[in-house]
Amino acid sequence: MSQQSLNAPGGGPDEISPEDETVTGGQTFASVQGTDDLLDEIDSVLESNAETFVRSFVQKGGQ
Amino acid sequence: MKRRVGGLETEFGLVCVRADGSRALEPEEAARELFRPVVAMGRSSNVFLRNASRLYLDVGSHPEYATAECDDWWELVAQDRAGERIFAELTRTADERLAEAGQDARIHLLKNNVDSAGNAFGSHENYLVDRRGEFTRLPRYLLPFLVTRQIVTGAGGVAPAVEGEAGRGAGAQFVFSRRSDHMWEAVSSATTRTRPIINTRDEPHGDANLYRRLHVIVGDSTMSEVSTHLRFATTDLVLRAIESGRALPELGLADDIAAIRAVARDLTGTAPLPTAGGGTVTALEIQQRWLDHVADLTEGEESQVLETWQKALDAVRTGDRAWASQNLDWAIKERLFTQVMERRGIDLEDPAIERLDLAYHDIDPSRGVFFALQRRGLAPAVLPEERIEAARRIAPTTTRAHLRGQVVTAAQEHGVDHVVDWTTLRLTRQGAMPVQVLDPFATEHPAVDALLEEIRAQGGSAAVPPPA
Repeated sequence: MSQQSLNAPGGGPDEISPEDETVTGGQTFASVQGTDDLLDEIDSVLESNAETFVRSFVQKGGQ
Repeated sequence: MKRRVGGLETEFGLVCVRADGSRALEPEEAARELFRPVVAMGRSSNVFLRNASRLYLDVGSHPEYATAECDDWWELVAQDRAGERIFAELTRTADERLAEAGQDARIHLLKNNVDSAGNAFGSHENYLVDRRGEFTRLPRYLLPFLVTRQIVTGAGGVAPAVEGEAGRGAGAQFVFSRRSDHMWEAVSSATTRTRPIINTRDEPHGDANLYRRLHVIVGDSTMSEVSTHLRFATTDLVLRAIESGRALPELGLADDIAAIRAVARDLTGTAPLPTAGGGTVTALEIQQRWLDHVADLTEGEESQVLETWQKALDAVRTGDRAWASQNLDWAIKERLFTQVMERRGIDLEDPAIERLDLAYHDIDPSRGVFFALQRRGLAPAVLPEERIEAARRIAPTTTRAHLRGQVVTAAQEHGVDHVVDWTTLRLTRQGAMPVQVLDPFATEHPAVDALLEEIRAQGGSAAVPPPA
């Protein structure tokens, strides 16, 4: 695995260099919006029969 | 061992529901539908794919994917992700067939480790270790590391209230890993009834005079590439230290199983754990001791493993989750659950949280909550998309997987019937001689070259398109 791919978008385990700070700031702002939008998306999953779905998921043990 | 081969076996949870969430198909039936294209291709629900991985149906109707042999832990993460994509594709096509048949049914594959009734299934790590010498002392040193590793690589989750406690919300709590409650022994040959941390099943899939297999079954299935990578990279470093024969941190715990459960529930990492020597030690101390101990064993890019490991420990030590909540499964989940609880005014015991936990591990790229987080930069996407896609078709090139991948690819392309397993390759025609490759590091083999020639000479073109 090369260093380049460690710097892929999405915040890999790389060190952030000083000149990236503005970018990081922008990403933080984007993340706040992303979170609201995400929670809206999650609401649609949770509001449709969450409890029934959970109860349906029963399998014998594996391994 | 400086170069080590490892592999990851993932068992997936399976549920097939109607639009109202009720069960549409029993797991056995849903699994049969899921595996239809696999059986059409390989005449079996146990096949090796072009990327040299193994795809099969395990006990309890758990679809399972075992990566090919990897000697690079980012390659292993790519191969593991590729397995998710392959099963996601199988799920999509199964859903289409069900819809065409007029059935109100959708299959969900969940890369987690426990169903709603508490049945557990696994994420099994395999490490090739040297046959000579160190295995007898290995558990003594490895166990304290494995017991506490969950504060870094746990998938997070909610441990249900302990029975007998009255009142809703009383006992449920967020934990680093739910796996700890399914562990009953430190080391044994059992897998289901009294599940151990280290399983002693010794199938090296290689020369048994040289190697043995270390089978670690304590891990959570991890969605985050950072978490999966750390599982293998840190364990590899600890094994290297143990194999080096030098003096090691004496951190043996008085009761590994009591400790693993205590560690899961202590989000501060500072609870005192009784040691075999009569003192106490904390989860953070054990992890930090190992991190410091292996520091001089790292080479080149491996120093990044130490940095990431340290960030993970700092997140527990300081309580500052800024980095962890976008990189490590347990912390991503901790933040997500907190946000959803606040937004909906619910507690950890609400079924919506369990549903959310399952949705986090749903491997469908469009439905899975982990991928929704990833698209918004709230979960790591370390590996480039092209690399994951390539890993669906291309085996690791630096291990024996390269040979198996070539044979399976050629046999599929030329429509030649074949049978392979981890060490053996052969054609199914009568009288065909098996080719055995016992060296897991082999990437060239004259007999395999001859086999490839034979396949090309024999074959036409594949009748059934492969599922991957």
